[in-house]
Amino acid sequence: MIKTNKNIQECDVLVIGGGIGGLMAAIAAADAGARVIVAEKSDTRRSGSGTTGNDHFNCYIPGVNADSLEECLKEFRQSLVGKGSYDVSIQKLFLERTFEVVQDWHSWGINMKPHGEWEFNGHAFPGRKRVFLKYDGRNQKPVLTAEAKKRGVVIENKTPIRDYLTDANGQIIGAVGVSIKNTEPELKIFKTKCIISCTGNASRLYPSITPSQMFNTAHCPCCCGNGRAAAYRAGASLINLELPNTHAGPRYFERCGKATWIGVLSDPEGKPVGPFVTKPNKELGDVTADVWHGVFNDRFKDGTGPVYMNCTETSPEDMEYMIWGLNCEGDTSLLDAMDKQGIDLSRHMVEFGQYNPMLIGRGIEIDEKGATKVPGLYSAGDETGNFRSDIAGAAVMGRIAGEAAAAEAAARPAIDDQLETHEVVKELQELCSQLMEREAGDSWKDFNYAIQQLMNDYAGISIPRSENLLRTGLKYLIDLENAALGAVGCKDSHELMRALDAFDLALMGRLIFLTAMERKESRGLHRRSDFTFTNPLMDDMMLMIYQLNGEPVTDWRKSW
Amino acid sequence: MPPTISKNKCNGCTLCAQICPLDVFGPAAPGQVPEVRYPDECWHCRACVIDCPKGAIDLKYPLPLMMLHQVVRGK
Repeated sequence: MIKTNKNIQECDVLVIGGGIGGLMAAIAAADAGARVIVAEKSDTRRSGSGTTGNDHFNCYIPGVNADSLEECLKEFRQSLVGKGSYDVSIQKLFLERTFEVVQDWHSWGINMKPHGEWEFNGHAFPGRKRVFLKYDGRNQKPVLTAEAKKRGVVIENKTPIRDYLTDANGQIIGAVGVSIKNTEPELKIFKTKCIISCTGNASRLYPSITPSQMFNTAHCPCCCGNGRAAAYRAGASLINLELPNTHAGPRYFERCGKATWIGVLSDPEGKPVGPFVTKPNKELGDVTADVWHGVFNDRFKDGTGPVYMNCTETSPEDMEYMIWGLNCEGDTSLLDAMDKQGIDLSRHMVEFGQYNPMLIGRGIEIDEKGATKVPGLYSAGDETGNFRSDIAGAAVMGRIAGEAAAAEAAARPAIDDQLETHEVVKELQELCSQLMEREAGDSWKDFNYAIQQLMNDYAGISIPRSENLLRTGLKYLIDLENAALGAVGCKDSHELMRALDAFDLALMGRLIFLTAMERKESRGLHRRSDFTFTNPLMDDMMLMIYQLNGEPVTDWRKSW
Repeated sequence: MPPTISKNKCNGCTLCAQICPLDVFGPAAPGQVPEVRYPDECWHCRACVIDCPKGAIDLKYPLPLMMLHQVVRGK
């Protein structure tokens, strides 16, 4: 039987995941007087999709990039992070508090005006307001970690959390995970009044664009839906799961940061493929791929591709600025790889492509305070489903959720439940023991690849979805999960973490099949061969899924 | 490809193993050159290269991640 660590750590607010959202939530909760612990799967100094940097922070600086919040909101809602099925009420609250966070980050040592003034560029349309502040995020994770520690936040690294624990009233009382600090795993239990779930994107559900390289993903492949799965099992509602979201960048080296490039998306003869820019433009970038997600595949399929990022006419000054920007964005591996391959961007165009879906901005449903429908459970960052704004969204909504969770925790009495004997802890103990004790079992990796092939073939974006394919895919996925429960074996704590990741991914997959069946229309990348039209009556209708008496239930609501 | 650590330069501080977002090293013993236990799981984020105080780490990129490139046709 897997060991359980006897030291049950207690706090007022437990933050799950120490990325941008989690660290900002921890800082805010600690500032409000809460005792805070961050349980982090990796190490908060370098973890999550902001690991080595970012360079665009969506924000509203009154009188600088817009004259009113409404003006800024309009641009935000047409940008790649603001358009789509999101709640405007949360978007407004977010924008109102962006500038205070920008100022705090700058005072803490993250350089938000690296050239001496507020500078907005990239992800922008010609002749319009710009809403993405250019900044140097290279040190953002170490800086936020230091700020959290200054406030007495306890950080438990190498502690992936599996489940959120609730009492008989459905109220949060704790969490349980598996420590990977040593090769031998042990269960780790936390007792807490509130949880803020901030586990980021969900990568590794669909295949990487390179079949042999599962961890070649644009966003951090460590983030794979653990918080969404735990929140769903605890009773939270997940939202927008059925609407696939994809990213684009260098065709086979999956990476974010396409707006950091200063070039023109071009065909093989160097002709622009989009209508927005004809010459490289530092202020705008080329927003074509933000608007026309399918540009790479469409041009590939109609014989006029491939499509390249063409920087051959970028001025030497702008080229230098771009290289600096790619460093700020954390894309040093792209620069290193191009250097090692002898690529000279003043001569060579780099082919770009569209990647497979991931779940950023699809996930936990929150209200204006970051609260879920489970008492004591909050969420922020890439894993929320009805609001998205990537780095800035994580930072600001993390702060808002941290403040609200600290206030709720202060009003709650101490928890006296016995967590070691909690049903969910016992179930996890049993599952982990089975996985660890099984000799010559199948590898977690085969299980993960098997999930990916089902998701790609039966609920992907290359073949339209249909009732038949979705129903069939769901059946196969359940068969796969059942087979994996009786087959997967793990040699050490690391493999156990990955196996649990795969079970969480399978749960996300099941919920995608169910919600995709329920949305009987085509919308964006959710294309149905049996419902080929987009139904205008569903324009602002959002689809939720949650558990009722242990069974998944779908429900619709209008966007707020 | 996993990170490669120069044994001559490494001072055994284990910072790389601590901060790797993908835990490709697994637990490392202080004073020793970290072992790369899970090489397939490298994200190529270069956190280890950036943070290594001795400049002892290099990354190679797997062939499937090749940066496809060419000159503008006709130029």
